[in-house]
Amino acid sequence: MERVMQVICVGVSHKTTPLELRERLALDDGKCVHVASGFLRDDSIREAVALSTCNRTELYLYGEDTSAARSAALARLAGCGGASAAEIEPYAYCYTGAGAIAHLFRVAASLDSMVVGEAQILAQIKTAHQVAGESDCSGVVLNKVFRHAVEVGKRVRTETAIGERPVSISSAAVELALQVFGKLENHTVLILGAGEMSELTATHLKARGIRKIFVSNRTHTAAQELAERYGGSAVAWDALEEHLVVADIVISSTSAPHYVVTRAHVERAMRPRRHRPLFLIDIAVPRDCEPEINKVDGAYLYDIDDLQEIVDRNRGARERDAEEAESIVEEEVARVEAWLAGLEVVPTINLLRAEVEKIREAELERIVRRMGDVDEDTLRKVEMLSTCLVNKILHQPTVRMKELAATDRDATLYIEAVRHLFGLEESPEDAPASGGSAPVDGAPEEAEEDLGQDLEEPEEEAQGETGAGEAPAAGDEPTLGGELTGSPAARGRSQGAA
Amino acid sequence: MEHISVILFWTAFLLYGAAFVLFVYHLVSKRPVFNRWGTFVVVAAWLAQTVSLAARGVSAGHVPVYGAYESLSLIAWFVVLVYLVLELRTNVRAIGLYTMPAVLIFLGVAWASYRAPAGLLPVLKSDLVALHVTVIFTSLAAFILAAGAALLYLIEDRELKRHGVSAVLGRLPSLETLDRLTFHAILFGLPFLSMGIIAGIIRAQKWGVHQWYLDPLVLLAIVAWAVYAAFLYARVGAGWRGRRTAYLALAGVICLLLIRFAVVPFLSNFHTYGS
Repeated sequence: MERVMQVICVGVSHKTTPLELRERLALDDGKCVHVASGFLRDDSIREAVALSTCNRTELYLYGEDTSAARSAALARLAGCGGASAAEIEPYAYCYTGAGAIAHLFRVAASLDSMVVGEAQILAQIKTAHQVAGESDCSGVVLNKVFRHAVEVGKRVRTETAIGERPVSISSAAVELALQVFGKLENHTVLILGAGEMSELTATHLKARGIRKIFVSNRTHTAAQELAERYGGSAVAWDALEEHLVVADIVISSTSAPHYVVTRAHVERAMRPRRHRPLFLIDIAVPRDCEPEINKVDGAYLYDIDDLQEIVDRNRGARERDAEEAESIVEEEVARVEAWLAGLEVVPTINLLRAEVEKIREAELERIVRRMGDVDEDTLRKVEMLSTCLVNKILHQPTVRMKELAATDRDATLYIEAVRHLFGLEESPEDAPASGGSAPVDGAPEEAEEDLGQDLEEPEEEAQGETGAGEAPAAGDEPTLGGELTGSPAARGRSQGAA
Repeated sequence: MEHISVILFWTAFLLYGAAFVLFVYHLVSKRPVFNRWGTFVVVAAWLAQTVSLAARGVSAGHVPVYGAYESLSLIAWFVVLVYLVLELRTNVRAIGLYTMPAVLIFLGVAWASYRAPAGLLPVLKSDLVALHVTVIFTSLAAFILAAGAALLYLIEDRELKRHGVSAVLGRLPSLETLDRLTFHAILFGLPFLSMGIIAGIIRAQKWGVHQWYLDPLVLLAIVAWAVYAAFLYARVGAGWRGRRTAYLALAGVICLLLIRFAVVPFLSNFHTYGS
């Protein structure tokens, strides 16, 4: 029975595991390498990448999927955090094959994140892969899978609106401000009252480039304190109207029982503002801004309920986006799976070709010995005949196997059958890297090269995947005679013989 | 030569249509790549139209500014030119979205009034006429773009007031961008309109057109000019912005479109084109 190589994922994440345990299991880059390289000493694991963020610690392995391998992985994961396997077992998950790949893709698409649509995870995956690559822990398979994961993450972010719609009140407010002003760099924000919400919104706005921040509060010291924190300036509470003229965005969250900003205020401010738009966010309950303000030309007032409504609507939309993202993940998993399946068929084909080539060479040598004294041209033709026959016979199985590998889930079954029927029992690693023949009696080498050129084109795909050293595969349908006279060189030779 | 022109006319028409589909698709699908493709398609269409107009000019033996077919396709050509320049310079997306329908309508009406090239009335054979028409079309193109931005502004303003913010809105330019776009387009267009009107007056005087100043076309053109002048004054002098100036931008373009589609065909005493 052949060894079946699989991608395996073992890990813990915020979905299942308490923070306390996650903290202990978190790995820095150095530890990631340490853990991953620990696996490579084990013969059954070929590649390993460790991914550790504040929400998850996961190990991605490529190797033999056995329960022993899984529990070893689990133990190593636990070990790096000073925990025992039994301790983390109830929280850990394990995926294999397509499941593991799908999991990584979902993580990359931020579908598994605490905040669906967040962007950080993509960079974290890139780093994890890079770190593993630098220490030679990841190889062909995990390189492919991780690079693909990053692509999936990008695709999901460009093809769906995931992460585009604000799902918190403060980010919704910022999005709206952007819709009004475009860029926030040269705009001014006025914060009235010092609540948690207004602080959060101010932080968001600052991240988007707002530089000028005015803070006003009934108690001036509180205003000064807040202003200091944001690099803004505190302004007197009764200077509100003057500042309505300079501000573009007003965030209000005072605990006043009555309206702080009235329609009259805004109307009076509009003329000296030269009718620049004014965007007011009222997050206070009871409200600080008179609802009538929204009727003033160029003034846009959003209260906490308006923002909440937007957030709720976006949450719904985000779920739909997530569904779209899931289907992208599915699609991409299928692609990587097809690639992995092809990987298994290639060594088999190489092996098969090497085996048949061995037979051809042996038989050719025999017949040449029996033919005795013949001219070089005849030798050449016999050699060509044998090569053509071999290639012809192997052509269909080669093509079919590749097709199966790409389309059929049970491709390994067929590969298994081919190995059994042709007696290809050794493992792919022990097989000769190239199926190319040693030249027989020195002469036929050149002939084989000629033939190779004739036949190369229709089989270029096989050539590319099975390596340059492989014997040339047969062409599509040309007859033997056609092939022999096909190339100018061959034609010249046969004329010479006639 | 004429059938080459017609074939290219249709090529351009279909490509503009395709670009419009791409722009709309960009809006609903969010993938910015469609907008870029859209712009590429517009460039291709515009090049086709350029050759089409040139071929028409060769086959007709004059600058293709006479008659409804030629003039309307030329207007569309200018609209696209100004749009491409604006998109390149301001990097504001979504201009194509509202420009393409206007272009398609112009080309559609142009085709409906297609006539094979014929000899010109002797009155029209003049460089001054060609200049008059070309600069007026340039200004018209700018004003159409301004009006499109203004319309978009009004829609967006209403949505923001109603708190009906949707994801589609987020892909449109911001209010301030649209406001600026309107302003710049009108600032660009008004000198051309002035030049066009002056050139028209000079020619009318020269040929001794009877009471040209009472023609509804001239009167409406003066009104449009006044509206745009008022726009610039309100915006720069009085500090108006937003909705009020957007309405002015729309009023101006309505005057100009009335001239083209109501006054010229039905009311005006001159501007009877071609044969």
